[in-house]
Amino acid sequence: MVVGDVETGTDLLVIGGGPGGYAAAIRGAQHGLDVTLVERDAYGGTCLNRGCIPSKALVSVGNLAHDAGSAEEMGVHADPAVDMGQTAAWLSGVVTRLSRGVEKLCKANGVALVDGTAEFAGDHEARVRHDEAGRGAETVRFENAVVATGSRPVELPELPFGDDRVLDSAGALALDHVPDSLVVVGAGYIGMELSTAFAKLGADVTVVEALSEALPGYEDDVTEVVRGHAEAVGVDFQFEERASGLVEGDGHAVLEAETDGGTNRYPGDYVLVAVGREAVTDTANLDAVGLEPGENGVLPVDEECRTGVDHVFAVGDVAGEPMLAHRAYREGVVAAAVAAGEPEAVDDRATPAAVFTDPEVATVGLTAEAAREAGYEPAVGEMPFQASGRALTTGHTDGFARVVADAETGLVLGGQVVGREASELVAEVTLAVEMGATLPDLAATVHTHPTLSEAVHEAVENASGRAIHTLNR
Amino acid sequence: MTVDFRLPDLAEGVAEGEVVAWHVAEGDRVAEDDVLAEIETDKALVEVPSPYAGVVAERCAADGEVVPVGEVLARFEVDDATDESTGGTEPETDSGAEADDTTSERDGRDRPVPAPPSVRRLAREEGVDLETVEGSGPGGRVTRADVEREIRGRTGRPSESGAAAEPREGDERGERATEGERRGRAPETGGDGGANAVAAPDAEPNAADAAPATPARSAERDPRDRTLATPATRRVADELGVDLDRVPASEKRNGEAYVTEEDVRAYAEGDAGRPERPRDGSDEAAGGPERESAERGEAATVEGGVEREDAASEPDGQTTEATAAAVEAAAAALGEDAPEAAAPHPAADDVSGERVPYRGVRRTIGERLARSARTVPHATHHDSVDARRLVEVRESLNAETDVGLTYTAFVVRAVVSGLAAHPALNARLDEEAEEIVYRDEYNVGVAVATEAGLMVPVVEDADELGLEALAARIADLAARARDRSLAVEELRGGSFTVSNVGAVGGEYATPIVNHPEVAVLALGAIRERPRVVDGEVVARPTLPLSLSIDHRVVDGAAAAAFTNHVMERLREPARLLL
Repeated sequence: MVVGDVETGTDLLVIGGGPGGYAAAIRGAQHGLDVTLVERDAYGGTCLNRGCIPSKALVSVGNLAHDAGSAEEMGVHADPAVDMGQTAAWLSGVVTRLSRGVEKLCKANGVALVDGTAEFAGDHEARVRHDEAGRGAETVRFENAVVATGSRPVELPELPFGDDRVLDSAGALALDHVPDSLVVVGAGYIGMELSTAFAKLGADVTVVEALSEALPGYEDDVTEVVRGHAEAVGVDFQFEERASGLVEGDGHAVLEAETDGGTNRYPGDYVLVAVGREAVTDTANLDAVGLEPGENGVLPVDEECRTGVDHVFAVGDVAGEPMLAHRAYREGVVAAAVAAGEPEAVDDRATPAAVFTDPEVATVGLTAEAAREAGYEPAVGEMPFQASGRALTTGHTDGFARVVADAETGLVLGGQVVGREASELVAEVTLAVEMGATLPDLAATVHTHPTLSEAVHEAVENASGRAIHTLNR
Repeated sequence: MTVDFRLPDLAEGVAEGEVVAWHVAEGDRVAEDDVLAEIETDKALVEVPSPYAGVVAERCAADGEVVPVGEVLARFEVDDATDESTGGTEPETDSGAEADDTTSERDGRDRPVPAPPSVRRLAREEGVDLETVEGSGPGGRVTRADVEREIRGRTGRPSESGAAAEPREGDERGERATEGERRGRAPETGGDGGANAVAAPDAEPNAADAAPATPARSAERDPRDRTLATPATRRVADELGVDLDRVPASEKRNGEAYVTEEDVRAYAEGDAGRPERPRDGSDEAAGGPERESAERGEAATVEGGVEREDAASEPDGQTTEATAAAVEAAAAALGEDAPEAAAPHPAADDVSGERVPYRGVRRTIGERLARSARTVPHATHHDSVDARRLVEVRESLNAETDVGLTYTAFVVRAVVSGLAAHPALNARLDEEAEEIVYRDEYNVGVAVATEAGLMVPVVEDADELGLEALAARIADLAARARDRSLAVEELRGGSFTVSNVGAVGGEYATPIVNHPEVAVLALGAIRERPRVVDGEVVARPTLPLSLSIDHRVVDGAAAAAFTNHVMERLREPARLLL
C-alpha cells in the first residue's frame, strides 16, 4: 500500500450519483448493505443538474411567459419580460436544493458518500481519486459494484463543443440570457424541448434535422401536433439537411448544412447540438474488472442488471436505451436488491416516456402498429382534447389521448397522450399496463370531473365504441 | 434452437383439447406437417400437424390431459437451416424462444403474460414460470391465487406453499396484511366484517389453521360487509347475478377478502349445480368467505394422499368432490356431526366401481345438455303418424335402386318442408342482442350414436338435396361420426335436430333441445301398432314423434302445427320424392 493511501471495505460500491446510482445506494442501504457511493461531479447526475430538472424549469418559464402574453382571448392582457439572469439564479436554487436533498437522503440512509473519481483496480478493488489537490486517493474493496456512470451528449466532429458558440444541452441550459437567435441541430426530444422553450422566451430558433420529421420514432399524428405547435411559436424547421460545419460571419456563428441541392447557411448567436447521448464508459477503468462496452458503446446487462461480470451491475444510461431517469431508478433498486440476495428483476411490462414540448408527448407500451406486429388484434380508442371541458377552460386544446388494447381480451397494451400534462396523464395507462388491467376495469373507474384525466377514460370507452363525449368510430 | 409449439386455434369457439394419443415420442425427428398428436376437441378428433421440421424435445401434455388453446403442447429442437427454410410458416407464437434472450433486448418481450408486479414477484420468489400459469383474471391476467395454485400443484405440499407465501422479513406489505389478519379486522371493516376476518385462518392453506373449521363456518351465515374486486370482476358478478359478498374469496388484500373473476364464476356454477343447498338450509353449504380456502387446505392436509393433492390443484370446478370429502373428514376428526356436515354433497368418493375421467366428448355432451336444460324451458309435443304408405314407398324405391333410402332421410325431407312453413322452429334466440333470428338456411342435424357418445353432424342446406342425395349424405356423416373423422365444422351451424331413437327401439321420448337451436324431433320405432281406422282397430305401422321445443321462442300451437305438417308429408310421402 502506498503511504498515505487509505483502504476501506464496503459491501456495495456505487460509481456515480445520478438517479440510477443514488437509487441503488439508498436501496442497498435499506437492504442492510454497507454502501459507498462515489460521485465525481454533483449528486443527482445529469438529470438533476444538467438535464430533466433544469430543462423542465426552462420549459415552465417559457410556458408561463408565453401563456401570459397570449391570453387576450381570455381577457388577460400582458407583455411579460423575461429576465434570464434571474431565471438562472432561481433555477440554480432549485437544482442546489434537490442535489442537497439527494445527499441528505443518502446520508440519512447510511450511505457513505465519497467525492472523487472511482476507477476499478481489480476484481474487488477500486481506486478513488480525489480531484481536489492534496486529498490523495483511497482504495475501496467491495463485494459488489454498481456502475452508474451515465451518459454525455454526443459530439459531432464538425461541431466540437470546445467552440464557445457550440453548445450542448447543458450549455444551453446554463445560458444567463435569451439569445436573439439559436440554431438547433437535431429534432429529437432534447432538441424539440429546448427549441420550443427558447422560441417562447423570444429567440429566433431554426432547427436543422437530417431526417424528414421531428421526434423520429413517434407516430405521425403525434409529431404533427408537436411540430405544428412549435412552428406556431416561431420555430423554423429545416428537414433533410445534415449539419456539416461552422463558419464565422457577421459576428454570428453560421451553421453549414448539406442538402441535395447544395449547402445552406444558418446564422445564429449559438449552435446547439442535440443529436443524442452516449454512455460514459471511459472514466471507471472498466477494463480492470473485466468489462468492456458492447454494441452502441453501452454495458449490456441481464434482467437483474448484472453485467457479464457476475458481481458487477450496471444501471441507467450506461446500460443503454432507453436512457431515462425513471428507468435508471428502477434498475438501481433492482441491482441493489439482487446484490442483497433478493429475487428481483427489471420485468416491467412497459416503461413510459415523456417529451416536454408544447404540447407534451407521453407514451407507454405498445402503439397500435406495434400491437399488431406482436400478434394482437388492437382495439384503439381516442379522445381529442378539443372535446374536453377541462382542456377548453385552460386554453390548451391541442392533442389527444389514445389507448391501445387487445380487442379479444380487453387487455390494455399501451397509450399515447399528446397535450398539456400528457406526462402526468400517462401514469394511469402505465399502471393499467403493469397491472394487466382491461378496458372494462378502466371504464368502470370513476374519473374526477372536470379534469384532463377524463380524456384517458373517454379514450378507453371509445376503444369499446362506448364513448359519451366523443364520436365513436 | 428450441421453439415452443402452442396448441393452435383448432376451430372457432374451441378453447381446449384433450390429448388422445401422441404420434411422436420425445427425441423423434419429425418433418413439417407430420402428425404430432390426436386432439379431441368439442365433438371432433383433430390430427395436429407439426409446424416444424426438427426433433421433438418435449411433449408438454400427457395422454388424456386437457390442453387449453395457446398453451405449449410440445417443444422442438429446430435445425437452424430448416428453420430458415420454413421461416415463413412458423406459427406466430415463437415469443417464448425470444423471451430467453433478455440480455440483448431489454424491451424485446413480445407478448408478456399479464400479471401485476406483486404477482410477478411471487412467481420469481418461487421460481414459477408465468408462461406456464393459466391466468384466471380478466384478459387472462395471472392472479396471486393462480400462482399459488401452481406452487401447490408443483410441490404437492400446501403447507410449504403457505410458508413460501408468507411475508418475507422486511416485506412491509406482507407484514401489514398478516397483522391485519391477526388483529382480526382491517381498519376499514367495522361491525360484522370483523367476524369474517377473525374466522379467516389465512388465505393460504396452512395445516395449523385449517383444523379449527368451526369459526370459519360460523362466519358464513352472513355475507361480508365489504369485498374487494376489480371493476371487471364486479361486472361479471352483476351479469351472473352473484352477490360478491357471498363469494368465497381466494385471496386477501390487507386482510380484506379479495374476489377474482374465477371465484365468481366458480361460485355461480356451484350455485346452479347444488340445488340441495337452499332446501337443506345448511350453513355449511352456503359458501362463506373462507370456506373454499379452508377446504383447499384440508383437501390436501387432512387426506394427504396424492390423489387429493392433485384434485386440489385442479381448477375449482373440479375440486368439489374432493373438498366435500375433505370437509367431511375434517369434521369427523373434530368429532362433529360429520354426516350432516357432508350431507349437501353426496360423498361420491365412497362409491366403488370403475372410475372413468369425465372428459372429451362425454363432458362436452354433458355440458351442452346441462346448459340447455338450465336455460331452455322445454315442452314436448307427442303424436304418431300412420306410416303404411311411407313403408310401402321406401320398400318399393329400395327394391328399384340400390341407394338404400332410410326413414331418417324421409323425415329430414318432411322436416325441411315443415320448417319452411313454420319458421319459428328454424330460429334461434340471440339472448345478448335480445333478438330472435329466423334462420335463412335449413341445416338439419342428425343425431348419431357412437362409441364415444352422441354426435350430431349437420346436413347443411338440407333443402337443396333430393331424397337420394340426402340419404347418401346422412349415411356418409354417420359413418364418419362413428370413425371420428368428422371435421369440427361439420358439427356446427345446425338449425334443427332429428334424433332417431327408434333405431334402437321405443316409442316416445323427451329429447333435449340442442341449444341454441329451438326444436328437436325424436323418432320412435316404426312398428305395427293398433290403430283406429274407419271405426275399426287395425294393425298399422306407425311412427311415434316427439318434438321438444324452446318454449321461449316456439308456442305449443306452433309445435303442434309443425308436427301436423311433418305427419302429413310422411303419411303421404309422394311429395317428398319431388
